[in-house]
Amino acid sequence: MNNGQSLQVLHLYPELLNLYGDSGNMLVLRKRLEWRHLGCTVHEVHMGERASLADVDLVFIGGGSDREQRIVCDELHQQRQEFAAFVEDGGVMLAVCGGYQLLGHSYLMGEEEVRGLSLVDLYTDRGSPRLIGNVVVESRIAAQPIVGYENHGGRTHLEAGVEALGRVLHGYGNDGQSGEEGCLYRNVVGTYVHGPLLPKNPGLADWLITRALERRYGACELEPLDDTDELAANETMRKRLL
Amino acid sequence: MSSKSVVATIAGRTTYAVLHGLLHRAGSQLPGRVALAIDPQVVAHLKSKTRKGSVVVCGTNGKTTTTNVIAATLEAAGNHVLCNRDGANMLPGVASALLPGHTADWAVIEADELSCAHILPQLQPTYLVLLNLFRDQLDRAGEIDHVQDVIVQSLAASPATTLLVCGDDPLCLGVAERAQAAGTKVLAFGINEDLGLPCDRVPEARFCQRCGTELSYAYRSYAQLGAFRCPACGFARPTLDYRATNVRLGQAGVTFDFTCDEADSWQVSLGDGGVYIVYNLLAAAAVALRAGVDSATFLQTLDGFDPGNGRLQHFVIGDHPVVLNLAKNPTGLNQNISLMLADERLKALYIIINDEANDGRDVSWLWDVDFERLTERQDVSFVMAGGHRANDLQVRLKYAGIAAPVVLRMDDVLDCAFVLPKQNPLYVITNYSALWPTKTKLEQRSQKDE
Repeated sequence: MNNGQSLQVLHLYPELLNLYGDSGNMLVLRKRLEWRHLGCTVHEVHMGERASLADVDLVFIGGGSDREQRIVCDELHQQRQEFAAFVEDGGVMLAVCGGYQLLGHSYLMGEEEVRGLSLVDLYTDRGSPRLIGNVVVESRIAAQPIVGYENHGGRTHLEAGVEALGRVLHGYGNDGQSGEEGCLYRNVVGTYVHGPLLPKNPGLADWLITRALERRYGACELEPLDDTDELAANETMRKRLL
Repeated sequence: MSSKSVVATIAGRTTYAVLHGLLHRAGSQLPGRVALAIDPQVVAHLKSKTRKGSVVVCGTNGKTTTTNVIAATLEAAGNHVLCNRDGANMLPGVASALLPGHTADWAVIEADELSCAHILPQLQPTYLVLLNLFRDQLDRAGEIDHVQDVIVQSLAASPATTLLVCGDDPLCLGVAERAQAAGTKVLAFGINEDLGLPCDRVPEARFCQRCGTELSYAYRSYAQLGAFRCPACGFARPTLDYRATNVRLGQAGVTFDFTCDEADSWQVSLGDGGVYIVYNLLAAAAVALRAGVDSATFLQTLDGFDPGNGRLQHFVIGDHPVVLNLAKNPTGLNQNISLMLADERLKALYIIINDEANDGRDVSWLWDVDFERLTERQDVSFVMAGGHRANDLQVRLKYAGIAAPVVLRMDDVLDCAFVLPKQNPLYVITNYSALWPTKTKLEQRSQKDE
């Protein structure tokens, strides 16, 4: 069962990037490992601390207000090379909302263009109005469509060769026009679907866990869990929206 | 009054009369809508009939209760008061509240934070009470920064208004500092002692409003409210003009001493509620004192205070006490959990989460609520999930270690709760849109039992 397998998760700046119940994503990763008798250690990185990626399997970065996102962006620039190396090495990363924008080359804060981390070939500009509402996305990495909520002024554009996380079935997605939502690059998932992204989308949670276990321990097959409640929540919203 | 506003007032009153007299409907917004359609400035014209002044109450949590206490105590002191008691707190609701009668002494108005932008410039109130600012309805209200900007701008458009602010809340104080710099008179209230209460897991507003440094606290009363100071720039809780001390919280409600420099202290008590009620009563007492109400009248008002509006409303059904309360954001729900855990009886809990427009469509905030605390003790026998987002709530509770069935009908909920021994309570917590239907249902069931 356990085989002593365990994942090291890095949660970046939870005190700043916690706008939309982001801690729920951490809780879900932890519980879904725990229920399978796999270990999980979550390291929170706080302002002024230097994150060590050497032994990390999965990085999570959430969403914050403009001001907080800017503070985090400046802080992360000092470690851009290490994050780039982690991504290129197949490190698993989940970046939500503001965190998703930081993955790209740039985003706009008001009229000012802020340089992002350039981990994924994408950029974000702004549009009006904000894109707000329930969203459903069909993705190849999750058996059920991904269901959640989006609330963003940014319009994110993927450069050629960057795959979207999925196709928008309801809602707006990256820019409200392309019909695409999020990005999928190596083992990096970026998305505007915020807050309880993983709770209602156990397929996506398990995809992230599987990639992280594979990278550390080689081929792996996850023990199935009873996801009746999670899938009922997912289905209820899909039925309502589609 | 201009002829336009006379017509607007008459049209609004007629609508009110038709709704109440003929259709027996509450219709709290429609008369105001009609009046505003004819004269968009009708509130500015109606304010002239309040002879002594007006009070606007805003803040994320506690508006309705505070508004009701202030209105009740001013009335008990012999004033004729106009008030949007039912909580219709945007401009049409305010216009509706101001329509009846030709003169009044006070207008006591609950205002939605963003609607302050429309209400303050017209009403030019004597006082704006700012209770607290928490994350709430991000999909509608936007981030807190935006809400703060709106309140600062509203005050700028109402220069004679005195801001009565919760000095314990760094977010409110951020607003107050900016308003004060622009010339607003500011008075602060707060709890002046350490209550030794546990902190929420997901902290709000940890950073200085001026310089962004993490705030340090001598103590917190709940959420981000407490004796804070910025170690870098001196941003700190101000000297409190109105203070609560000797605060006692328990199953029998709250008691505290209300003190200030301009009067003898009042011993305030209310048979219900937790620490958040202390702030609401503190603000209400400060307004009452400034409006010339004496302590005896204020305390008498609290004695019989039962707004019957679903905020901590008590019922008895099938020999079981049922307690209904509103919670619409993480801070509110965390406070409800604290309140319930203070009750050591074996109990059942039913939580209803809807996602109508006035609830906020986004239910992400459920993941910021400390539901895990419900598992700390054995006396929460079982939890049931209801509302349009019952399934989301069920998942959240599952990850908190609580197996909660989805139960949608209140009759079924009561049947389940009644497996508890008699006299053991059911707590019902709902967010906004489910509150009135739930209250109506519980009233029907408790009347049937009488």
